[in-house]
Amino acid sequence: MRIDKHPILDFKRGKKIKFTFNGQEIEGYEGESIAAALHASGVKVLGESILKHRPRGFYCAIGNCSSCLMVVDGMPNVKTCITELKEGMVVETQKGKGKIV
Amino acid sequence: MISSAEIVIIGGGISGCSTAYNLAKKGVKNIAVIEKSYITSGSTGRCGAGVRMQWGTEMNCKLAKKSIEFYENANDVLEYDGDVEFKQEGYLLIASTDKEMDQFHENVKIQNKLGIPSKILTLDEAKEIVPYLNTDILTGASYCGKDGFLNPFLTTDAFYRAAKRLGVEFYTYTQVLDIKVENGRVKSVITNKGEISTNIVVNAAGGYSKVISDMVNSELPVYSERHQILVTEPVEAMQAPMVMSFSLNLYCQQTPHGSFMMGRGDNREPRDLRITSSWEFLEQMAKTITEVLPPIGKLRLIRQWAGLYNMTPDKQPIYGKVNEVEGFYLAVGFSGHGFMFGPLTGVIISEMILEEEPTIDASMLNINRFKEGNLILEPSVV
Repeated sequence: MRIDKHPILDFKRGKKIKFTFNGQEIEGYEGESIAAALHASGVKVLGESILKHRPRGFYCAIGNCSSCLMVVDGMPNVKTCITELKEGMVVETQKGKGKIV
Repeated sequence: MISSAEIVIIGGGISGCSTAYNLAKKGVKNIAVIEKSYITSGSTGRCGAGVRMQWGTEMNCKLAKKSIEFYENANDVLEYDGDVEFKQEGYLLIASTDKEMDQFHENVKIQNKLGIPSKILTLDEAKEIVPYLNTDILTGASYCGKDGFLNPFLTTDAFYRAAKRLGVEFYTYTQVLDIKVENGRVKSVITNKGEISTNIVVNAAGGYSKVISDMVNSELPVYSERHQILVTEPVEAMQAPMVMSFSLNLYCQQTPHGSFMMGRGDNREPRDLRITSSWEFLEQMAKTITEVLPPIGKLRLIRQWAGLYNMTPDKQPIYGKVNEVEGFYLAVGFSGHGFMFGPLTGVIISEMILEEEPTIDASMLNINRFKEGNLILEPSVV
């Protein structure tokens, strides 16, 4: 399923672009969020809980719940549900709280 | 509410709870603590949570050293079910001028003489402890690995529960409206929930200390100053010590949770009791921290808050009796360091009230030092 309507974000679909998820190449559209592109490609587990490492997926989709935090281009704790997808982005599952050094 | 008490303590922060605990432990019955909001709602619960022994005056060094020794065993001594989360991962004090470095050398001399294991570090040595420290803007550092931080809420809770078990009565959400004085003696404390007659009152009201002293017409040379703190999102552990600079006006530590907590003061603040948050603080704090500890600039901000420093002219606390009224004791004016001195505050005030041999002679911290001009200025304060 591809998200095309969103309560607060305007998804203006542009051209098809490529990015990677844990090293695997995936296609998405310009103008949609990273999480939306992953979701459309069948990626349902976006992260894991801090203490018990349980799977965490798409939840609030408006940048509040922290369920979709991922490492994007090396930067941890990116809210992928409200961050726009860009050509060539390197998206990775985040383990733990993230490292900045 | 009880109608009479042996001792009434005003303020349910670390100072009030520690004083109540120490008095009760020594067998005083009938102690009441009055808190206008909840326990730790004031300066204690808003503080930066650090405890350090790297001070510039002998008095502050001694108070801090004894307090840290207490905190090392706090869970056991207070028989606490939880954990006060005491972590001794050090304080790295950084200097940005040669003059400041001279002061550090002076301070470390005093500290070492008193048995505090602090030392002067070169910039390279400082970088070994915090590798991403921007030493280009610094001249040197001092470090003490026995300094650290602990959770102010849990620590105060530990004192509160221990005091309660010993029979201390706590009245939260209870506001002191007035204090009755008769023939130069404290007579009773009037609250919005009733009146408690007593011969002894302890003013441990933190930012509100002057409001309380005004009730007995006792002059208190203090004012309250708003200080602000911000906290970031959590990341994996990357910084062991608290990093602090007096000249750059900052302190910054990573909490056990992984978030970074940082704060600073501003002595141009209006001297009132506001604890609102400001945009200016966020902007200035972010600028400074990005310069000193660059990677922290990548972190997102979660929230900010403010609390009151109760400032004295020499930035050291005021302990003891006042001249105008019998039975009125002060544990005030901590100038931002009430939490770290908390364990000793309770010991000192209880010894003064019970006229016991002092553990540390803190008589020089009496209120008359300001009139007599015997100020002992603390040089190392953010």
